[in-house]
Amino acid sequence: MTGAKGNRASLVLLVLIVVGIPSAVVGYQYGLRPALADHRIVDITARAPEIGGFSPDVVRAEVGETITLRFAADDVTHGIAIGPGLGIDSGHIDPGHVGEITITPDTPGIYTYYCNTWCSPDHWRMRGILEVVDPGAPGAVAEPSDPIIDALDAASIDIDTEPQTAEGIAPDRIRGRQSLAGVAVPPQLHDPEWRFSHSPAAGLAELQSANPDLGDGVLIDVVAYLWSETPPPAEIKELYAKNCAACHGERGAGDGPAATSTIEEPVAYPEAAWHRRGDIWYAKIRRGGMGTDMPNFGTIFTPEETRLLVEYLRYLSFSGR
Amino acid sequence: MKTLIDRPPTDDGRRDVLARMPRLRRIVLSRAFQPVSMLLLLAPFVLAVVAGLLGTPAGNRNFGIVFVWIVWWAVLMVLLVPGLGRIWCTVCPIPAPGEWIQRRGIMRGGAKLRTGRRWPRRLRNMWVQNAGFLTLALFSTVILTRPSVSAVVLIGLTGTAVAVSLLFEKRTFCRYVCPIGGFIGLYSMVAPIELRVRDPQVCVDHRSKDCITGNEYGYGCPWMVYPGKLDRNLDCGLCTECLRTCTMDNVVINLRRPGADLAKPAPGRRIDEAFKALIMLACSIIYPAVLFGPWATVKEWAAVESFGGWLIYAAAFLAATLVVVPGLFWLAVAWGHKGSGSDLPVRRAFNDYAHALIPLGLAAWIAFSVGFALTNGSYALGTISDPLGWGWDLVGTADVGWTPYLSGAAPTIQAAILLGGLIFGVRTALRIGLRHGPPGPAGLRAAAPVAAFLLAATLLLLWLYLG
Amino acid sequence: MTLPAPAETSRRSMIARRAFLLLLVLFVLLVPIPSFHTPRTHEITIDAAQYEFSPARLNVNRGDTVQVTLVASDVVHGFYLDGYEIDSRVEPGVAEQFTFAADRPGKFRYRCSVACGSLHPFMTGELVVGPNEPFWRAGALALIAVGATLLSVRKRRSA
Repeated sequence: MTGAKGNRASLVLLVLIVVGIPSAVVGYQYGLRPALADHRIVDITARAPEIGGFSPDVVRAEVGETITLRFAADDVTHGIAIGPGLGIDSGHIDPGHVGEITITPDTPGIYTYYCNTWCSPDHWRMRGILEVVDPGAPGAVAEPSDPIIDALDAASIDIDTEPQTAEGIAPDRIRGRQSLAGVAVPPQLHDPEWRFSHSPAAGLAELQSANPDLGDGVLIDVVAYLWSETPPPAEIKELYAKNCAACHGERGAGDGPAATSTIEEPVAYPEAAWHRRGDIWYAKIRRGGMGTDMPNFGTIFTPEETRLLVEYLRYLSFSGR
Repeated sequence: MKTLIDRPPTDDGRRDVLARMPRLRRIVLSRAFQPVSMLLLLAPFVLAVVAGLLGTPAGNRNFGIVFVWIVWWAVLMVLLVPGLGRIWCTVCPIPAPGEWIQRRGIMRGGAKLRTGRRWPRRLRNMWVQNAGFLTLALFSTVILTRPSVSAVVLIGLTGTAVAVSLLFEKRTFCRYVCPIGGFIGLYSMVAPIELRVRDPQVCVDHRSKDCITGNEYGYGCPWMVYPGKLDRNLDCGLCTECLRTCTMDNVVINLRRPGADLAKPAPGRRIDEAFKALIMLACSIIYPAVLFGPWATVKEWAAVESFGGWLIYAAAFLAATLVVVPGLFWLAVAWGHKGSGSDLPVRRAFNDYAHALIPLGLAAWIAFSVGFALTNGSYALGTISDPLGWGWDLVGTADVGWTPYLSGAAPTIQAAILLGGLIFGVRTALRIGLRHGPPGPAGLRAAAPVAAFLLAATLLLLWLYLG
Repeated sequence: MTLPAPAETSRRSMIARRAFLLLLVLFVLLVPIPSFHTPRTHEITIDAAQYEFSPARLNVNRGDTVQVTLVASDVVHGFYLDGYEIDSRVEPGVAEQFTFAADRPGKFRYRCSVACGSLHPFMTGELVVGPNEPFWRAGALALIAVGATLLSVRKRRSA
């Protein structure tokens, strides 16, 4: 191939390379690929919140619409979950990888897509909103009310009041289970709802009046056992490890690797658990802590998950070290 | 059994490669050979730039990082330069746009743009290349980890090549400017391949010098080299034009003894070349220390995480490459030279002995590149399927995980390469010494401190890789 | 060598020198290097953070047992140990534990195995399992190589 003919052919090749390759790359990603898909694809870049968080951070979808969210991790490993109540978790998405989540939401509402793998000091700010609307019944999606938090509000209980910390006691649920047989337990202490709205300290007072001749040491352990009767399911442990452990520590001692970077020291559960009412704890988790770095998990966890989480915190607190 | 001093000074055992491979000869002699090679490599080059600019910032998932700094670099330093010398310069796409604009054509030039100016005499050496390499080296930690920066460097090199091609004649960029071409040329002297004339006398007698002027079969040497006097690989870009233009069929590509260029008497050796060898050897020690070493602070300095830190790094880096290593080497040469009774100026001895550093320097770069490629080569599989980190899966390998290859054997391989480079370097030093001084043990005495310098550098490298 | 030796003698002495050199190299490569340490167990916590492991260098002896608690203090990291091919992924807040027997001598780098940012490929530390046989053997070979090369010329010259 020589001369003018060769020159023309090579010019064509040159244009194909210099113009064709970029066009093909961009055209496939932004033109052909969405066109070939039978439903909507939304590309979302995932970065640590300090350098941008999610973009876009709001996605709208209709009930019954199938939509694929493609999360591209740009900087460090993220993990994307969508809640509450959808049970969607992408697992780890390492930098340069794309995690796809395809959903067909059937209930209108505000959902949150969020990072559940510790990725930066501001990790917990890494959230986006998935708004699912019903085209048949448009209009603002009502924030669902939460009876437990409403009840606390009605009783004018300030959830941000710091509880007393327990000093000099080491409640142990295992010891408590062993001594349970010899202790008279008032019926309300067997009622999960009563326990949920009362602190273990309040429970101890009830036990003391029912068992005036028993020492506090035994009763404290029995209360510890009653307040953490059922071992938590594995999903809740996982939920805790992913969302809470980075600050509050693997065993709940307030010593996670991110504990040093928060505005206030993360709560150490063993100290807090004794005087903490379950419903207040629940509200605190769902609403977040005012002026601390404790984020709100109400947009992420279902009420049921939150209650189980409270039980898990008691379990962690009373399991000894 | 011959030992090295029994060998005649002119190299023997050369073999004309293309004469034995008529198929290859036809391809190489075709005028389309170089332009087509460059075009073919322009495709991955463009993809690397596009990926760097648009793709994921995660380097290990970006074609622009993985195929430039892992795949290309390893192939270049481990296979091409030691095996085939300047072969990369034959096919490199970086000067292509500039050359094609200059020639007003790809396959064959049209109307000439106008005769480019000659490169200033003062710069007709390797100093611009040395400076360019040092500049890139000072930022290399950033360049080889950030796709966008890497793409900007590739664009910058291409843009510079275009600018130089518009202003100056022929391949001035490749010969005097390209920071990569500099060390490829230096280390190509080790390669067992050379382009030479069969019989220099034919060139002397041949009046028309088509290899310089060009003719209907090809261009005059774009690298501004006269093949008739070519005796080292340093400046020959293996563009193969002279194979086409020579009407006397006097130009050949030879298989030869590796390193044949290093010890031969070459009055043209200059201090810029010596510094190239010293800078490259120093960098081959600094790189594994900074990048593979356990000193995280130094890595952060090198990666320009803070400007102050980088200044410290830059100062130390320049001091090591331009003052400390050359200074120590000067002392070694001067010490040996004094006892040898040679009447050469020390400066000449310094320039000559610097060539003994070339085999060890190349070995150290091979060791470095082998380690990096074995460790990170598996990234190539992922990026071939998903070049931009956009979640594609072109050939089904997008999710192949990172797996270091031969991680247990790598240090042994590296040690073997370094020892090979040391022996090669010491033998080169001896050859140079024996040729310099009065014949006899004096040459040996002159070379001994250089050998000690090589030994010290090797022990330092062994400590970095194994100690 | 003072007198010019007949060709036959010279050839024989060269063969002898080469054989000696070969034996020396084999000796350096194969001689067992005794370890005078009683095996012990090291409990080590390795913290992974962008872009360093602390500690960045571990010294143990051949035959020791190494119990590693791996923690990450900023983002997800990994730990890959060259030569031992141990690979572990660690998330902040969830420590990982593993144990291995340090049965191969030498220097082995540990590297972050989960991309963690721009300097990820250079996030390394090193485990040295002593006595560091590969290093000492390679160093000795370097000395022999230089010595033998210099001597070979001297002999040829005077012969």
